[in-house]
Amino acid sequence: MAGHSTAAAAHAGNNPFLKTVAALSTLAGWLSAAMIVVAVGITCQMIVIRFVLNGSTVWQTEAVIYLMVAATLIGLPYVQRLRGHVNVDLIPLSLAPRARKVLAVITLGLSIAIVAVMVYYGYDYWHFAWSRGWTSDTVWAVRLWIPYLAIPVGFGLLLLQLIADLVAVLTGVDKPFGLEDV
Amino acid sequence: TELRLSHQWSNNDVRHKVAQIVADEVAAAGVDLDIKIFGSSSLFKAREQYKPLSRGQLDMTVLPLSYAGGQQPAYNLTLMPGLVKNHDHAARLSDSPFMEALEAKMAEDDVMVLVHGYLAGGFAGKDKCITKPEDVAGLQTRAAGKAFEQMLAGAGASIASMASSEVYNAMQTGVLDAVNTSSSSFVSYRIFEQVKCYTPAGDVALWFMYQPLLMNKSTFEGLTQEQQDALMAASEKAQAFYLDEAKKEDAASVEVFEKAGVEIANMSDADFKAWQDLARETSYAAFVADVPDGQELLDMALAVE
Amino acid sequence: MDPLVLGALVALATIAVLFSGVSVAIGLLIVSAGFLIVFDGMRSLELLPEIFFGKLDNFALLSIPMFIIMGASIASTRAGADLYEALERWLTRIPGGLVISNLGACALFAAMSGSSPATCAAIGKMGIPEMRKRGYPDGVAAGSIAAGGTLGILIPPSVTMIVYGIATETSIGRLFLAGVIPGFLLVALFMAWSLYSTWRSGDTTRLGSGSYTWRERFEILPRVVPFLLIILGVLYAMYGGIATPSETAAVGALLCLLIAVIIYKLWSPRALWDVLRDSTRESVMILFIIAAAGVFSYMLSSLFITQSIAEWIGTLDVNRWVLMGAVNVFLLVAGFFLPPVAVILMAAPILLPIITTAGFDPIWFAVVLTINMEIGLISPPVGLNLYVINGIAPDIKLKTILTGSLPFVGCMVLAIILLCLFPGLATWLPEAVMGEAF
Ligand code: NA
Ligand code: NA
Repeated sequence: MAGHSTAAAAHAGNNPFLKTVAALSTLAGWLSAAMIVVAVGITCQMIVIRFVLNGSTVWQTEAVIYLMVAATLIGLPYVQRLRGHVNVDLIPLSLAPRARKVLAVITLGLSIAIVAVMVYYGYDYWHFAWSRGWTSDTVWAVRLWIPYLAIPVGFGLLLLQLIADLVAVLTGVDKPFGLEDV
Repeated sequence: TELRLSHQWSNNDVRHKVAQIVADEVAAAGVDLDIKIFGSSSLFKAREQYKPLSRGQLDMTVLPLSYAGGQQPAYNLTLMPGLVKNHDHAARLSDSPFMEALEAKMAEDDVMVLVHGYLAGGFAGKDKCITKPEDVAGLQTRAAGKAFEQMLAGAGASIASMASSEVYNAMQTGVLDAVNTSSSSFVSYRIFEQVKCYTPAGDVALWFMYQPLLMNKSTFEGLTQEQQDALMAASEKAQAFYLDEAKKEDAASVEVFEKAGVEIANMSDADFKAWQDLARETSYAAFVADVPDGQELLDMALAVE
Repeated sequence: MDPLVLGALVALATIAVLFSGVSVAIGLLIVSAGFLIVFDGMRSLELLPEIFFGKLDNFALLSIPMFIIMGASIASTRAGADLYEALERWLTRIPGGLVISNLGACALFAAMSGSSPATCAAIGKMGIPEMRKRGYPDGVAAGSIAAGGTLGILIPPSVTMIVYGIATETSIGRLFLAGVIPGFLLVALFMAWSLYSTWRSGDTTRLGSGSYTWRERFEILPRVVPFLLIILGVLYAMYGGIATPSETAAVGALLCLLIAVIIYKLWSPRALWDVLRDSTRESVMILFIIAAAGVFSYMLSSLFITQSIAEWIGTLDVNRWVLMGAVNVFLLVAGFFLPPVAVILMAAPILLPIITTAGFDPIWFAVVLTINMEIGLISPPVGLNLYVINGIAPDIKLKTILTGSLPFVGCMVLAIILLCLFPGLATWLPEAVMGEAF
């Protein structure tokens, strides 16, 4: 079993690139946690306004939704760094060290490719919303480029973290799949 | 050629039937055109259909046009209180310079209309009837549409925003006191089980929503002449059906509510006038302030007899 | 290509990709993108970020991190230990009393947490070492906590029920209520098994060693009161007309954080950050899978696979219970490999039409599905609760944990059978509280 429960972060060693990326991911994690906390606060405020003061609650639902989406996207690199994204490590566990390393390089390569696609088209989508001046169809009318910005930024940071993970495996700073030798 | 049509409704909804008629008629015409329908939001979520439609990633959709009000603010006129009086008036609006102006906006997004159609709706109150503006003061209300929220807030209602799927429970537990939505949603979400009084769309109605069958314009223009003709012929047939069924839906919803023992209230002409005056100060004013050519469009709509 | 053949190809590709060790969410994105490129063209890639964002654009998802925070904040205090100690002081006379009080504590904790790993960790941190100290076999100690922890997603609130409610547009309030009686039923079955196995082991003198005075027993009760208040407060907010279920989650999270800070003096920024970090990690992990599974189901739908499978099964002329049996086997196998939310999101759009056409109640099915997912939580290779136990007691061998939890898996299978025989176990309470379903 991999150490999913012990929050064993990926190792960065003394490599300045790895350390920078690790710092960025951690910062993103703080931001993500902060957004979740703000969402809790806004929801409670909404209940008070509606139930206690019988007032209108026009913007809260939307604000909370966008905060949660952004918290998820911005949180991706941090959770990747903590190795918190679950995987099935049955095959990697059963492989010899060399084969395991090769498999790790392949899976990280594929992950980098798909996340790069998300960054590219996420930027495209964000830019479309920005240049067309799209807003949400509510009274609050949020300019949509603001929440959409989380797509290229979140996936961009995840891309960096995945590249760092690949570099760490290739340079031997970190073990493939974070698995300690059995 | 295969075209993909996406919508959010179940198979027995009138809007699905409209799509199905177009698909069947086109297939019967034998012009090598196959329309594949993805219903019940199985491809795109309701509010996420317009963007792929306008970028040519989706070919057709049946959509409340006001969902795209964030992309083209002019569309907010298609869900504006008191602008449409009844179904026949709605049909005249669909065939007016006002609609032509809207279709010009759609063309900017590479979108065109195949089938025009409006559906009506009303109000339901948990504890009392809602016919005039004074009735909603202080009530927690969920309205369908931005312009209605503005008008109801102007009448002193408190606006609660939530997903339509939450409305039933919110009414039951008392989070909500009143709700404003389409006749068919009142029935499909079984709101009649939770309310005391229903104000349906009758001879006059406040709530009309434009829900056309749209198509990507470039995709349409890329079809052969026979295919285009077949689509237009099918659409004409579907449009006649749509208008008939839209009229029937209001009566059908009244029947369901009556059967459930819910009181039925009617909006008088004076009530309608009071709402419209209120709308003029609130939602119309906000619309005109928001949209550069808003006043012009609004006047065009109001000019339709 | 025939959509059914295509479906089989997708299934094979998904298995191959997920077994490569790539993270589940990214794996789902890779498979989706691959099939979309081949069968829908390169341009379909443009849509991926939009669909990904769209799946997260849902208010009800808010409750997932909230119900996780509830669990995590309480778990980081002595609360779990208090709960479990209170139960223990009252139950020592019974042979196997300690394992029973652990199971009871898991059930109580499950009523405050929406997630299973959180429940497992909260009670297990104290419960497992204590049981081992008092001579319970490692297998019983680890197995009971692993299994008791799974109650986190059956007894409301429940993260998986929320996901099911969103995917199938079923009332979350009703789903929560549906889990209550089956939850108690499972606790009872777990306890019955523990009693029986302890009694059979014969050495009851060692197992019931602690003894407490009445004074000690009453002394600890006040420490349990805050939790009962949280549970009652959340229930009242949810069913008393104050807020919708998803909004209630935020109230619960705030209450739990406040209790952790005020009563349990969880003041240091470090400790608070630990709570937030763990909650963020679990929430983001789940939400990433939800969004990626959304892209996956877009791919299935776009290639007409979902629709074709549903149609195909509709044409099969089989007994509805044979169908239900097959569905259960499928869920069980999927649960071995995938975390619950991924299974629910990928399977619900395909299974639900089949289930309702065959005349099964979607609320009842949610409970059956949840118990299947509970089994998956304590089975390898992806058993989140196993990881948690492994973190608490690294010296207990995986094999020991597994053999220890096997009888509890038996209890879960029995519960599914009972639910099939008496569907009212799941459907009665929601109907009694919220009226006839539709
Ligand atoms: Na729970
Ligand atoms: Na498993």
